[in-house]
Amino acid sequence: MLKRLINLFLLLPMACIDPYEVTVPDGQQLLTVEGLIHTGPGPHAITLTRSDTYGSVFEGLIRPVTGATVVVRDDEGRITFLAEGQDSRGSYFTPVGFQAEIGKSYTLQIQTADERVYTSLPERVESVPEIEDIGVKTVTIPVEGEIIPRSGVQLISEINDPADQNNFYFWRLSPVVHVLEARPDLFTDREFRTSAPKDCCSVCYRTESTGNQSLFIAQDDNFNGLNTRIPAAFIEDNGLRFVNTLRVDLKQYAISQEAFRFLRLVKQQAEISGSIFDPPPATIRGNMISLDNPDEVVLGYFMAAGESTRRIYISKADLTFQQNAGIIPDDCRTVSGASVNPPFDWNP
Amino acid sequence: MNRIILLLIFLIGQGAWAQTTAPTKREVIGRDIGQLKGIKISGRIIDAISGEALIGATVTVPELDVTKITDNNGSFELILDRAEYTIQFRYVGYETIDYPITAVGDGRMSIRMLQEDFQLDDVVIFGRDPEKNIRSTDMGAINLNMNTIRELPPFLGEIDIVRSLATLPGVSQVGEASSGLNVRGGGVDQNLIQFAGAPIYNPSHMFGLFTAFNADVVNDVTLYKAVVPARFGGRSSAILDILPKAGSVDKWGGDLMLSNYSGKLSLNGPLIKDKVSILGGFRLSYINWFLNSLSNPTVKNSQANFYDGNLVISAPVSENNEFTYSYYTSYDDFAFASDTTISWKNTAHSLQWKSKLSSRLSLEALGYYSLYDYGIFNQSGINDFEIKSGIQDLGGKLFLGYNFNETNKIFFGGEFKQVKIQPGELVPTGAEQEILPQKVQDELGQEAGIHFQHEFELGEKFGFSYGIRYDTYRYLGPRTVRQYEETKPVSDGSAISETAFGEGEPIQTYNGLGPRASFRYSFSKSSSVKLGYNKMYQFIHLISNTATIAPTDVWKLSDNFLEPQIADQYSLGFYNNFKGNIFETSLEVYYKDLQNVVEYKDGATLIMQNHLETELIPAEGQAYGVELYVKKNLGRLTGWVSYTYSRTLRRVITPFEEENINNGEWYASNFDKPHDLTLIGNYKVSTNTSISATFAYNTGRPVTFPEAKFDYSGNNLAYFNSRNQQRIPDFHRLDFSVNFKLKGKGLFFDGDWTFSVLNVYGRKNPFSIFFDDAENAPPQALRLAILGVPLPSLSYSIKF
Repeated sequence: MLKRLINLFLLLPMACIDPYEVTVPDGQQLLTVEGLIHTGPGPHAITLTRSDTYGSVFEGLIRPVTGATVVVRDDEGRITFLAEGQDSRGSYFTPVGFQAEIGKSYTLQIQTADERVYTSLPERVESVPEIEDIGVKTVTIPVEGEIIPRSGVQLISEINDPADQNNFYFWRLSPVVHVLEARPDLFTDREFRTSAPKDCCSVCYRTESTGNQSLFIAQDDNFNGLNTRIPAAFIEDNGLRFVNTLRVDLKQYAISQEAFRFLRLVKQQAEISGSIFDPPPATIRGNMISLDNPDEVVLGYFMAAGESTRRIYISKADLTFQQNAGIIPDDCRTVSGASVNPPFDWNP
Repeated sequence: MNRIILLLIFLIGQGAWAQTTAPTKREVIGRDIGQLKGIKISGRIIDAISGEALIGATVTVPELDVTKITDNNGSFELILDRAEYTIQFRYVGYETIDYPITAVGDGRMSIRMLQEDFQLDDVVIFGRDPEKNIRSTDMGAINLNMNTIRELPPFLGEIDIVRSLATLPGVSQVGEASSGLNVRGGGVDQNLIQFAGAPIYNPSHMFGLFTAFNADVVNDVTLYKAVVPARFGGRSSAILDILPKAGSVDKWGGDLMLSNYSGKLSLNGPLIKDKVSILGGFRLSYINWFLNSLSNPTVKNSQANFYDGNLVISAPVSENNEFTYSYYTSYDDFAFASDTTISWKNTAHSLQWKSKLSSRLSLEALGYYSLYDYGIFNQSGINDFEIKSGIQDLGGKLFLGYNFNETNKIFFGGEFKQVKIQPGELVPTGAEQEILPQKVQDELGQEAGIHFQHEFELGEKFGFSYGIRYDTYRYLGPRTVRQYEETKPVSDGSAISETAFGEGEPIQTYNGLGPRASFRYSFSKSSSVKLGYNKMYQFIHLISNTATIAPTDVWKLSDNFLEPQIADQYSLGFYNNFKGNIFETSLEVYYKDLQNVVEYKDGATLIMQNHLETELIPAEGQAYGVELYVKKNLGRLTGWVSYTYSRTLRRVITPFEEENINNGEWYASNFDKPHDLTLIGNYKVSTNTSISATFAYNTGRPVTFPEAKFDYSGNNLAYFNSRNQQRIPDFHRLDFSVNFKLKGKGLFFDGDWTFSVLNVYGRKNPFSIFFDDAENAPPQALRLAILGVPLPSLSYSIKF
């Protein structure tokens, strides 16, 4: 009893984090550039948006910047025009066949519809070591008030870091393809709420973009010249992705020191927790400048990088902890991105 | 009950006890060799029960109209003529003793005074001497005796020294979980915290939830916030001098306290009867034990341990010589549902020799060694590592005092210390070699200071104190130092060459002359005005981009890039006591000018950074304020009101426009909280029951709000531009406690039950407001409240 009483004291949720209403200044509509061109096959995308007041979409909507002229220029003066996507307004794509070349420097030049001209500082493309192998580690994340933790798979890039250069790494994931298992036999007719089993289909292949929960970057200060393993990506287990087999391409980029510093600040902000250890808010300065008005703030960063990629098939057996399998009581083809045919190169 | 113990001791028969309370018969003091004048009678006053020295007790000879105050050792000295006297011994909270003597020759008296708590309806919270605030030339020296601190509502079941100081004007803390103090607009690193003379770098447990000093082994706490005596130096804002208790030389006793968070025990007694005493104290938290017994996975995977321990051996080897050895340690480790553990540990040894070389000349010599170790341990299974850091201080001090007479004294001495900092060493701990061991260059510095101070009074009205301190500092090799292009901001890219300095080779030297002066004019016995000026130098900097002391911080010595911090402070104060010192009031005004305060470049990397100069920018600072203080010392209701209006500002102007912060304008520092109000009341309900309450209010501290949101890599990010332009909501909190004294429940036990509630009305005071684009929620402002609910605690303490 006494112990229970004392536990009660301790268990009081002493600290808490909750949303808080504040009045933030009206946001400026600053041009924001996000883009990466690399040595891998294209098309590579440059996305232009405008910042707005901080807060939800009701406070300010981040809008795409459409109708701009976007070119990439290399240090030999060669110019490549990027075309705005039909379905993705504000995103501009390199033409088929464009690949950045190692050792060259590139600048991004933009002329917006209102005739303002912007340029990036030159970014040099560095060579990137191959991904020797991809390790898989199951990660669990305890969730306050839940018995079952969140979980997922961490991909670990095994690399031979070159000893003779200072390397800065950045990783991204291709869209994943995974076997999707459904239960069409459990389908119920919504209108009549009666069981109406379907014959097809219980197994599909679903393609989806999982994004990356956080940014994965590294610099070789403490592993220069070593054969090392670095956590490079995380795919969350949503109860569907890992029921059978999942395929993903891990893309490894060699970015510049300045780009690394930029991404580190982005990561720092994305991972802020409000704790006493949090660094104070930092201005995230990019590499874009306005040619019309040097005092105009342009946000974001244009990167040019060497790329290496490696594919991995992750089977259910590779995981040491799994979420309870989600049940889809319907034809698996009704799930977006799902199809009964595997991709042509599906080869687990 | 104290009386019962006394009675027992009487019965056992200890000759010395005849002197405890007023003897009925006039006592003859001294060996009669026919001396008529200049009879020197010295003595020492101690608590009859605990044997602790009573510092600041008054010794009055009514026949001669002479009053003396006992020193830090409880000692006093009287010069009398051959005659009969009735000497009066008074000490707040103790029974007054009228002691009839006949002085016939040089002699000694040993006085044991009894606490009057068993008959006291009133609480008394005088410091050492009820009129000291008026009479002394000290400015801004706050002495808290442990009795005062004990009357405050306990924090998480315990008396907290650091938090108690933060209730006083001009002293504040960043938030509810933060270590250290901000004194008159200074940073937490600008205070020298010393325990028994040795510096302590991290004075907290659990990131500031608890103070790392066990109140049961502390005798006396003094904070110098305005004019710091010349004997202290090395930090630019304030000195917090904590002195441990000494054990009793004639009987064993101790304290035990159990609360729902931690337990502590201290024991003291004679190691060699009447010659050497020992005091040991230990405090242990059992929070971890509870965490592990819970089923919540987040909590179960967390750990939080702390302990602290003290040992004091005191040997008054002769009437005029005393040696004291003190050992202090505190340890913390903490892991919150993760693979990363952080830990820190303070250790300090000091040995002090106090001597009365003659009736006029006294000497104090002290040697110390202190170590602060901290580390981050990653055991995630991938690239396991640990980063270990530490600071090691080795030093000695010599302090002499010479009394021309009671109102004319000089003090002088010197100090030397060597500081060695290991900023960080990364050691791979995994099975395979996947990361490289790394070590940031160690730092070595030597600081020496000499000082002189003269205090004198001209009549009753005028008091003067002036002093000077000369500090010299050397930054020594071995070290490789970079040179940078002068036309560019200091960064990795602008480094042009490197110079290697050999072992012990001086890299940089700084000297500083620090005058201290204060002046007092008394309008009457109960009111005075004081004026003070102070200059201090600081050669060590806390390199932290959080607002508090944390084990992720780095301490850095001044080098050829980072110049010493310098603070000039001007202060003016009015002091008035009313109604026979029942009420004490003061009004103080100060202005402080700070140079070479450290600020950070955006997104600075501070850990494992070999070239910190690339991440830091020197700033100017200024701080000013008005402090109001009204205190009621006596009566059933005691307590104080303290209100401070102050500002603390920073400005960064560099030769490179892009590095200026807020366009080179003045801006509020991280702990600028203009209005700060504390109300403290303690009410004695009955002989055995008292209640106390504390209410605190202050302006919210500055925070940086985003000026826009933008989209990058799927995150809605905040664009921050100008620093510290907004504020978090104001802070206010009410704490409450009830204390019951148990009487007569067993002969040797005298227990106190204390029940307290922190944050009575459960205000979610924000520690911070931050901006986050979390999953499944729009980008928004979030509030972190450290104490978001009313937090009860219960503790039981006994003295035996």
